Amino acid sequence: MMAETQLAILFTSIALVVIGLYAAIFVDNIIKKIIGISFIEEGANLFIVGIGYKAGGIVPILMPNMNTTWFASNASYPLPYGLVLTSIVIGASTLAVMLSLVMVLYKKYGTLSTKEMLADTSKQEEYNE
Amino acid sequence: MNELIPLMVIVPMMAALLLSAFSKFNKVIKCLALVVGICLPIIPLASNYGLHFFGGYQPIMDNVTNVIYHPAITYSFDFMQQIFIAMIGLLTFLVIFIYLTKYKKASGSYLFLLFMGTAAVTALILTDDIFHMFVFFEILALAQVGIVAASSIDYSYEMALKYMILGAIGSPMMLLGIGFLLAMTGTVNVTDIVSIIRGGLLDVTSPVFLLSLGLIFFGWLYASGLPPFHTIKSGIYSKAEPHGAALLQSFTVISMISIVLIMFRIYSTLPIFEVLVVFFSVVAMILGVSMALTQTDFRRMIGFLAVGELGFIGLGIGLGTQYALTAGLFQALNEIVITALLFIGFGAIVHATNEVDTRKLGGLLAYHPKVGIMLLAGGLAMAGVPPLSGFQSKLMLVQASLSCGYPELSILAIMVSIATFVVFVKTFYSMFLSPKPHDLEVVDNEVPKAMVFAMAVLLIVIIALGIFPDVVTSGNTNYVGGLLP
Repeated sequence: MMAETQLAILFTSIALVVIGLYAAIFVDNIIKKIIGISFIEEGANLFIVGIGYKAGGIVPILMPNMNTTWFASNASYPLPYGLVLTSIVIGASTLAVMLSLVMVLYKKYGTLSTKEMLADTSKQEEYNE
Repeated sequence: MNELIPLMVIVPMMAALLLSAFSKFNKVIKCLALVVGICLPIIPLASNYGLHFFGGYQPIMDNVTNVIYHPAITYSFDFMQQIFIAMIGLLTFLVIFIYLTKYKKASGSYLFLLFMGTAAVTALILTDDIFHMFVFFEILALAQVGIVAASSIDYSYEMALKYMILGAIGSPMMLLGIGFLLAMTGTVNVTDIVSIIRGGLLDVTSPVFLLSLGLIFFGWLYASGLPPFHTIKSGIYSKAEPHGAALLQSFTVISMISIVLIMFRIYSTLPIFEVLVVFFSVVAMILGVSMALTQTDFRRMIGFLAVGELGFIGLGIGLGTQYALTAGLFQALNEIVITALLFIGFGAIVHATNEVDTRKLGGLLAYHPKVGIMLLAGGLAMAGVPPLSGFQSKLMLVQASLSCGYPELSILAIMVSIATFVVFVKTFYSMFLSPKPHDLEVVDNEVPKAMVFAMAVLLIVIIALGIFPDVVTSGNTNYVGGLLP
């Protein structure tokens, strides 16, 4: 059961990372690129959550009168959960900054297509030269 | 005073938050920024070497396996950290001094970004925890993006977003690598991971271990601006204000050495690690200098030269001997100072002429002799001309390559240094010595005194390190000795 659940988590996170990478590299629309980037981040987070998973395990909170040896052998590993919480917060901040930059660029170029933005930028740079 | 160790991160971070909160009070934020800027280089010099365990959680000995575990985030402070943190503190102070004298109305948000970046690189170099490293790596990336976006240069938003998107791909890769290490070792403390590896409790030839190396290495390439990220890195330098670029390049150098030293401790048992570091460093050296040759925008040119110099640092670390590592770290310190001088100096020229194209400049030595001479000294130091600091570190790197049995790398390093010299002399000639073009207007005959002061301070450091390299190298040699297996 453990292997099955962890394998499912592993394959889902690989799928998220691959789909995200495809979107971030090949998709033209900048919002879709950012959605792809979020997929990559969530794939990494899911993978780390999977590390802490324990089949039939209990929540890693030591309650009063709980035998510590029993707790140590049955509780899931809490460190990855702590790390993932931090990672989610960082991901949200990165996402917010990226979206605010996109808002500014959309106002400037009137498009969300990276190709059109790049074409505009190179035309302007040629003009400046 | 080991209590000062966390303060090196807390002070700039608190200052950043306060500056942002009180951004409406111009005089208050100016005074606060200046006072904290002065404190930054002093704190590391006043602190004792040692370890700091957050929350006071001391290492625990497992009586069954006789292995020591670190339950808390640990900061390790030694000579290497001291010298780099003091240098970044000095540079932050100079950059803030230039900024505050340039603008009557200071921006709390911009100062927030400068201090936050400084706090992040300080934490990066102090930490002994690989996840803590990742967190500050992300904070640093956000601060860098902010510094670029806050500049008034054309297309800075575009460059900031490009950097951010690449970063948003690089950082989850690094996180995945950290995840694999965590899955194999059950810990994120670097010392614990290293003792598990050295104790033979982990199969270092396993594909998962190699995969973790590849993923963290990818994140490192992004953080350092080594190929394939060299173009974007030099791009962000050119789109930031010159004083901001001076600080950004120092952030890059510190993040590069912090992450690579952690990787060195974990992966040095794998021969592929050293091969990868040397390969990407050599590519960076060649690409950096050859792309600098073709640039007409001098900010972009310095950016590419800075990337080439990063290759020298990587070369020292990739060779992996005590002498080579010492040389690499010395080169890193020199690059921080030299490139900062060049960015500030060229920033003074932008201030005076509003022009960044070397083809449209000329005859500036008559107008700005002080800036010209100091820039020349900086350029010669970068090219490795004696008796300046760049010469000492590059000589050490050449000797290290020879002693490791790679004369071809020594020849390459010398050739890249000569090419750097050519690039710089060509640019210097066209900007300062060639006849002044008729359409060039020198809009300001006076460059800001703060810029001249900052350049003079950095030049003194360059000359001092060139004449007395032992001040840095002897301490670094002892530090590096502790890293080797």
